[in-house]
Amino acid sequence: MQVNTGLANFSYAMVITALVLYALAMLAYACDFAFGKARLLATEPAAEPAAVKELVGVGASAAPAASPAAPVVNGAAEPPPAGRWPSGFWLRTAFGLTCSALGVQLIAILTRGLAEHRVPWGNMYEFICAITCMAVIVLVLISVKFRAYYIGLFVLLPVVLGLALDVTAVYTLAGPVAPALQSYWIAIHVTAMIIATGLFIVGAVVSVMYLVADRCQRRLAAGLPSKVEGIMAHLPSALVLDRLSYRTILFAFPVWTFGIMAGAIWADQAWGRYWGWDPKETWSFITWVVYAGFLHARATAGWRGRKAAWIQLAGFGCLMFNLIGVNLWITGLHSYAGLT
Amino acid sequence: MTDLQTPAEQAEATAALPETEASGPAATAAAAARSARPAGGQPVRLGLMGWLRWAWRQLTSMRTALILLFLLALASVPGSVLPQEGIDPAAVTQYYTAHPALAPLLNRLSLFDVFAAPWFAAIYLLLFTSLAGCVLPRTFRLVGSARQQPPRAPRNLARLPLTARFSTSLPPDEALAAAGRLLAGRRFRLRTGDGWVSAEKGYLREVGNLLFHIALLALLGSVALGGLFGYKANRLLVAGQTFVNQPTDLDVFHPGRLVGPGDLQPFAISLRSFTAKYITSGPEISDPASFSALLRYSSAGGTPSQPYNLQVNHPLRVDGVRVYLIGHGYAPVFKVTDGKGTVVFNGPVPFIPVSTNTMLSDGVIKVPDADPAQLGFAGVFVPTAVDIDGRVESAWPAALSPRVSLVPYAGNLGMNSGTPQSVYSLDTAGLHKLKVQPRALAPGQSLQLPDGYGRITFTGYRQWISLAITYDPGQVPALLSACTALAGLILSFLVRRRRLFVRATEGPNGTIVDLGGLARSDAAGGYETEFAELASQLCADQRGTAGEPAADQQGVPPAAADQAEPVSSDHDEALVEDEAE
Repeated sequence: MQVNTGLANFSYAMVITALVLYALAMLAYACDFAFGKARLLATEPAAEPAAVKELVGVGASAAPAASPAAPVVNGAAEPPPAGRWPSGFWLRTAFGLTCSALGVQLIAILTRGLAEHRVPWGNMYEFICAITCMAVIVLVLISVKFRAYYIGLFVLLPVVLGLALDVTAVYTLAGPVAPALQSYWIAIHVTAMIIATGLFIVGAVVSVMYLVADRCQRRLAAGLPSKVEGIMAHLPSALVLDRLSYRTILFAFPVWTFGIMAGAIWADQAWGRYWGWDPKETWSFITWVVYAGFLHARATAGWRGRKAAWIQLAGFGCLMFNLIGVNLWITGLHSYAGLT
Repeated sequence: MTDLQTPAEQAEATAALPETEASGPAATAAAAARSARPAGGQPVRLGLMGWLRWAWRQLTSMRTALILLFLLALASVPGSVLPQEGIDPAAVTQYYTAHPALAPLLNRLSLFDVFAAPWFAAIYLLLFTSLAGCVLPRTFRLVGSARQQPPRAPRNLARLPLTARFSTSLPPDEALAAAGRLLAGRRFRLRTGDGWVSAEKGYLREVGNLLFHIALLALLGSVALGGLFGYKANRLLVAGQTFVNQPTDLDVFHPGRLVGPGDLQPFAISLRSFTAKYITSGPEISDPASFSALLRYSSAGGTPSQPYNLQVNHPLRVDGVRVYLIGHGYAPVFKVTDGKGTVVFNGPVPFIPVSTNTMLSDGVIKVPDADPAQLGFAGVFVPTAVDIDGRVESAWPAALSPRVSLVPYAGNLGMNSGTPQSVYSLDTAGLHKLKVQPRALAPGQSLQLPDGYGRITFTGYRQWISLAITYDPGQVPALLSACTALAGLILSFLVRRRRLFVRATEGPNGTIVDLGGLARSDAAGGYETEFAELASQLCADQRGTAGEPAADQQGVPPAAADQAEPVSSDHDEALVEDEAE
């Protein structure tokens, strides 16, 4: 079928619009950090779990006085900031911009697919557009569910950079895909990889935030000055960041595993074997192994904390190499990037 | 995974939950020192068994498993960067030409066949041994713990990570009974004692964890099964031809280690026609849009032949074997008449595409039966000929105006020398080039050879396809193993193992109920919420049953739990386990 060029151009314009809105959202998040009141104070000393345990936790502060029917509960968790929805002008603006940009990007992806009469993730341009979109979906969900609005600025940074590169250096005109990609498995395998990658991006960003926060906390605890103390006043403790990152990976890892499995089933249909050490397969395996190492490290004394965070970032490095390096420098059966 | 531990530590670890993997270089070193120097403080030489046990513990430790895991990742890298024999042998040959000094060295290190290399096998076999050495004892431990009761409640619940306290007018034993009922209703395993209730839940976590690791072992077994009993083959099939799935009728045959020539399923396949469609506009112009090969096949059972439209992503399944369309090309048809006027050759010759975008193809025609001398031709086929500066080039992959240009040779083809020859190359050692005016032949046109050697006619063309035939009995087991692994993984991530302890004591203004909570390997957090919810539920229940106004129950200041006395030095199961982590 013929590509609908008008619709494809509209899709491109929508991606640019989303990019601009994301950049504005980033600006608003930054303004919130600059002018907003610090809602979350990282008061704990260096993340020594035993020390944290003693702190007052879940609903303890409000409940007993207000309603004598509730028991006094003490636990390790930090109290989540009061409201589910963002508070303060800048934060509300930032979150609103993020959500509208996400809506615009979703329209862009939808129209691209309609223009091409296929699932719109058949080349590198479309794939990067989809993973940045997924990262923002994860950002919005986490922001609301865990009231973690503080990750917005940091997650949007790679999203804006990735999308900007995508529309400039990587852009590919709308078109049909090779016969090997004409299968319903593209909707299963590539979608799973997109979801997992979006989650891995957010996990990696929060992991970097954890490393910075942890360093800052240790320096402050040792009586040393820290350059990021100002920003840290807007962030929760390193422990909370660590857990948030871990939860993201806990979700992403099974999805990634499923994506590899779906890819193997598809490879079996298209190429006659379920596993053949094609470079893309090899790197998805390496990524899987490193993230599996991260999960094991989290469960092993002496490896959790900073060491585990670095392993997670190594896994993310493998993921990015699989996306960029393998697409651009290594030829294999997965050479669908559409770049020349 | 267990780490290096003295028997006493092991006993502790056995009582502890599986995720208590004390490890780390310092811990290991300390433990090693202890195990080498038992009670008396006198250094003792480890016997052979001692060393073996030490080596086994090292191998099955989490630290070793982690290192092996990263080694496996690292070892895979050259397999993606360097060309591999098993994936693209031609690229390996190219690499040899490009790097004549380096290539033999890399080859000696098996770097052109990484995934079949002994050192790669060593890593994953060690890893899987480590895995088995960890998973099997843990399975036994899980079975054991499923029969054991939860541990006793610690003396002082205030030292647990999660604590709650409320007061009730119920007597202590009734308060405990009510707590027990609620927890049993929430499917906690219960143990009761004098003044306490201990509850535990979430054994499925370990079940999922073990399921995942055992399924990985099964996956490796499935891959091995395919390697032993499966086979792979290739066959080039020109339109109009038929072949039977037998080793003698296949171009390339890679049997598994335990596959004999008689083990193949002798189905037959013939190619009726092949159609390739190409993209006619846009940036992907001249890229293929679709391939379709109309086959007829009959299964080994001797059933009448059936039609099948073979396409990419739609393999043919026959007798448990799958047949894939993996390539296509043109086979120009030639008729060769020799110097004596005899037709010595008449048939299609598969040419190999040099460019997939233009389908310009190379090929060789060998005519050993020609008189007075054997004839050979090196040819180029272009499906859509255009003239570029006197050279014939192809402008389009489909056959719109096919042309063939030939370079004729006469002499000895060297086919009887005993050394095997490729049908796609001409050994010109015993041949001399015949002088002809170079020109591109259209279908029906002939090239008259000089010196009475005869002539060759380009009568037309057919298409060919190349088929991959694979049989892998490990495929279904591999899929089942992978699905089990995924299910186990999700189970182990969703369920968390947690304990809740209740103690009720008589206080001045009624009964004081203390709750303590402990989640195992709850690194992602989340038990706090459930604990708080359970605590409120218990509190509400007991006040409800007492039927007294809540305002009367302010006997305990909220800060009491925080100001609890340090715990006495009793052996306190729950806390010991907590510290072992």
